[in-house]
Amino acid sequence: MDLHLDADDLNACVQCGLCLPHCPTFRVTGDEAMSPRGRIHLMREVQDHDAPLTDEVMESFETCVQCRGCEPACPSGVPYGHLMEQTRETLADAGALTPLWQRLAFKPLASPTLLQTGSSALAIAQRLHLVPKRLGISTELPIRRRPLEASGTDVYFFTGCVMDAWQRDVHRSGIRVVEAAGFGVTPTNELAPCCGALQAHAGLAEDTRSLAKKMMANLEPGRPILVDSAGCGAAMKDYGHLLGTPEALAFSERVFDIQEWLAGHMDRLPVAEPLDLRVAIQDPCHLRHVQRVHDATRTVLRPYVRELVELDDEGLCCGAGGAYSVLQPDLAGQIRDRKVASIERSTPDIVASANPGCSMHLAGAGVPTVHPMELVDRALGRADTAP
Amino acid sequence: MTATLLSTDPVLAAFAEEVGESGPIAIVGGRTRWENGGALVDGTRTIAAPSGIVEYIAEEMIVKVRAGTSVAELHASLAERGQVTALPERGGTVGGAVAVGQNGVLRPMRGETRSAVLQVRYVSAEGKIVTGGGPTVKNVSGFDIPRLMTGSLGTLGCIAEVILRTNPMPAQTRWFASNDADPFAVHRSLLAPGPILFDGSTTTVMVFGHAPAVTEDVMMLRTLGTFTECEPPPDATGHRWSLSPRDLQTLDVAAVGAFVAEIGVGIVHASNPQPPTPLAPDVRVIHDRMKAEFDPPGRLNPGRVVGLR
Amino acid sequence: MSILDRLRGGRTAHDVDPLLVELQAALTPERVKMDSAQRSLLGKDASMFEGGVSGPICYPTSTDEVVAIAKIAERHGRAIVPRGAGTGLAGGAIPLGAPVVVAMTKMNAILEIDEENGIAWVEPGVINLDLTRHLTPRGFHYAPDPSSQQVCTIGGNVANNSGGPHCLAYGVTNPHIAALEVVTATGEVLLLGGLDAEPDGYDLRGVFVGSEGTLGITTKIAVRLTKNRPGVRTLLLSFATIRDAANTVSAVIAAGIVPAAMEVMDQKITRAVEHYVHAGYPIDAGAVLLAEVDGAEAGVDIDADRIRELGIANNATEVRLAADETERALLWKGRKTAFGAIAQIAPDYYLHDTVVPRSKLADVLDQIYEIADRHDVLVMNVLHAGDGNLHPLLIFDGREDGVMERIQAAGEEIITASLAAGGVLSGEHGIGVEKQPFMDQLFTSDDLDHQNRLRRAFDPTCRANPGKVLPMGHSCADIQQLRSVPTGVWG
Repeated sequence: MDLHLDADDLNACVQCGLCLPHCPTFRVTGDEAMSPRGRIHLMREVQDHDAPLTDEVMESFETCVQCRGCEPACPSGVPYGHLMEQTRETLADAGALTPLWQRLAFKPLASPTLLQTGSSALAIAQRLHLVPKRLGISTELPIRRRPLEASGTDVYFFTGCVMDAWQRDVHRSGIRVVEAAGFGVTPTNELAPCCGALQAHAGLAEDTRSLAKKMMANLEPGRPILVDSAGCGAAMKDYGHLLGTPEALAFSERVFDIQEWLAGHMDRLPVAEPLDLRVAIQDPCHLRHVQRVHDATRTVLRPYVRELVELDDEGLCCGAGGAYSVLQPDLAGQIRDRKVASIERSTPDIVASANPGCSMHLAGAGVPTVHPMELVDRALGRADTAP
Repeated sequence: MTATLLSTDPVLAAFAEEVGESGPIAIVGGRTRWENGGALVDGTRTIAAPSGIVEYIAEEMIVKVRAGTSVAELHASLAERGQVTALPERGGTVGGAVAVGQNGVLRPMRGETRSAVLQVRYVSAEGKIVTGGGPTVKNVSGFDIPRLMTGSLGTLGCIAEVILRTNPMPAQTRWFASNDADPFAVHRSLLAPGPILFDGSTTTVMVFGHAPAVTEDVMMLRTLGTFTECEPPPDATGHRWSLSPRDLQTLDVAAVGAFVAEIGVGIVHASNPQPPTPLAPDVRVIHDRMKAEFDPPGRLNPGRVVGLR
Repeated sequence: MSILDRLRGGRTAHDVDPLLVELQAALTPERVKMDSAQRSLLGKDASMFEGGVSGPICYPTSTDEVVAIAKIAERHGRAIVPRGAGTGLAGGAIPLGAPVVVAMTKMNAILEIDEENGIAWVEPGVINLDLTRHLTPRGFHYAPDPSSQQVCTIGGNVANNSGGPHCLAYGVTNPHIAALEVVTATGEVLLLGGLDAEPDGYDLRGVFVGSEGTLGITTKIAVRLTKNRPGVRTLLLSFATIRDAANTVSAVIAAGIVPAAMEVMDQKITRAVEHYVHAGYPIDAGAVLLAEVDGAEAGVDIDADRIRELGIANNATEVRLAADETERALLWKGRKTAFGAIAQIAPDYYLHDTVVPRSKLADVLDQIYEIADRHDVLVMNVLHAGDGNLHPLLIFDGREDGVMERIQAAGEEIITASLAAGGVLSGEHGIGVEKQPFMDQLFTSDDLDHQNRLRRAFDPTCRANPGKVLPMGHSCADIQQLRSVPTGVWG
């Protein structure tokens, strides 16, 4: 079966195996079918040798977290993330992947009204203990949310879908910090309801393309677009590749992770008394392995906390993976166990993670996790809610 | 340079001729460890291995030497280029030292005998010249015949010639002794100490390396006890016990008698012999098969058994 | 049949195979795999060798399970092939003749750290670098550091007697292993070596290390701990010619210095690396030498200064001493990303591995360039020069017509040239299936016969990773026979 994978990309892998220890599913299973090398081999078998899509092959593809931890480890520069997204898109188009219930579940993401209403309902259900544990929603969802207001037009602040519905207070912190650096902020709100990352991971790239086009049409050219969710930022930086147009490339170039942006403007941030906390940094995969701007988190946090500690697992994924923790709860749990053990070895007071999925997944294991912006915001004394 | 060409060395060919294809035979070296492995069967023909240094390349850190050469003679030649091997200097031959496979007290500085044997050439029970290993320090080409032969007490083949790895001698070696230091603390505290010998009251330790590093070690020693510089200790004699480094901390002094222990290594030189500990039955099976494979008629060093201690 | 069912081939039914049934009963059904995807995956390793055919794949979690696997395989007349991370470059883990593949990746616990005896007991699936990371806070590390150390396993290192850049001073794997628990092909558990100073008997531990899985499967390993060295100096020396670099290496050894590492890179690879990672390597140099000395802080400058002098005496055009840990890391990054750099040039490479006497390095390198030219193959050289260990990288695009034949021809000539210079077939990759055909160029028929006797003493029934190391006619199992797979095992 033609998976529509680029022959050069597929051929780039020389099967050296250096990716294996950087793959969370290989780490917890020791099974090569659950490794990037194994998955690429199976892609080749399917595309080049017409191997049947057995349950085992499908399982190999479906269990990939798409953390892309293998990419920085790969000496041959194999674009694994794109290979896996294309594989899933082809399989989803053929009806072999992403069943209808999942497709339906992604629909509200693109509709703010539906999502807000649904989330409020979920929040109430949560209070009534009606939410199944499998969904992994560990933080208490807000029932009502104050709207985010624009303070100027220097930068856009991407608000997105789930995060806006569930963690709008994190957005508030980020916006206050950017404002403290003297920038006027426009929250994107309904101008850019969703980045399409989760859809792309599920093989529904067409949905992502349509969301990308909508966002590009709605946001005025020129202005930097700041993103406080690593997964969204990575997806938006990939619009250039996804759409393949000069406009999309130009758009992607003005997308910045919020820490990345602030790291370039540290001189404009006020000096403040550091919080008396030992903070472990958990790099979201899409910040570290995809955007590769995780150093910025350290630059921005360092002046505002007593101590930063690194985890000893070289940025191995935490298992959140967007919707992964819901779709593959067993593997996600095993991967999280490794992460939690690493966190415990570093003995922090609190963990900072710049991605909503990671922080919720970790909170589900009882690890106190906040967004780096919440800490900076708190140190700057501008927070009206404690993190 | 192919293996076939090398095997036609006339000295080795003559030795192979002497070993022959049948009849019990044993190679005699310096007879310093002649009792190891039990008594030789009466009527066994004994011959000496050929001697002489064949080739010494200091830049390659290798020396090719015939088995009958004395270790003292070999080391005297190497000393001219500031080098030495791991083989213990106990009055014996190179072949004997390799066949016995034991280490000298300088092991922490010079390394292990069995890691020093890069290539071995021996005459098989069938009278053929066999080569194992290779002339380079790094080599993973095929099965490790040199390690099998090292410590095999001549029961698998008549060792004729070896290529040994040489090591540079350190810029300085100094010995110190103390009556109040904890020898185990000395082992823990120094980065790379030479031998640390302990006889129940005196700790004798060698430090080696470049002068500044030695000075640093000496300063560390002074924090661990009252150390005074001394002459190198005499060769340790007596029965040889092989223990683990940790065993030395709970050494049964009544059992060993008078002793000198190599701290961090586990060798104890004692007045009493170590009680025998038979090999595990499954391991003994492999030994017996190995002997049967290499010496089907049982003619090599008959009476001697490896792994009897 | 629905579209979905047609797209999905469905789970291949193998539950009638009695071998599989027994293996699954001994382990668990989840830890014994027989599906076509898994078998096709484990039919390969990191080498270029095709033609591996895997039987059932077992993921044991204990020595007892490995024993059970060996005994079941014996009853069914099948061989066993151990596998670690599958990073071998000589095809040592490639299953021949549908054997039971024993994947050791789930046996990955660090069991005990015994500082008093200077060892750690580990399971074979522990990753080399994970072990060192685990030991570092206690002031120790595990010395052998193969270039694949971030992924390769200690069990694999034992099988291959692996080396690495820092094995010049510290030695390869063998001297760093105190004891092994192994399971033979007939299911006996042997403890080889020991924690005592001079374990009695033949050095079976010593011969097991580097035997490429042909004597049995390692299930537990006592590795020696090496104290971390407080003082490290790293120098980058540039030369106009690779001959000057090689001469410097010989001069350093002759001067009685055994550096921790001495790595040479030729001009092509230096340029490729610099272009790729900007490590500050001189792109106009004919070759660079990366030398590292370590030990007590008080002594390292003496050796570093001496290396500098010897470099200058051998026409070094520039000598750089890494000023701090950052610069040191950057210099090593250049060396360690060599493969990434060549990937920018062509998608495939064949990493060769031979050893020659240090004094012959420059001559053999000249021959290698000539051989590559003649076969119209791009070659770059990065070598563990201190050990005389050559790693010519033949770089190509496998999709090009006829390229594999040229690569193979060039590779064979490189072996011949290395042996002619008094070298050996492999410094650290092992023989596997890659260099099997060349063993009789290094050894006589009698030599090989004795190697086979050693092997037979452990594995008289010829079922431990058969068809490897010894060439046809000397191996106790004939590969042709192995490749005729019993009926009914095909997926």
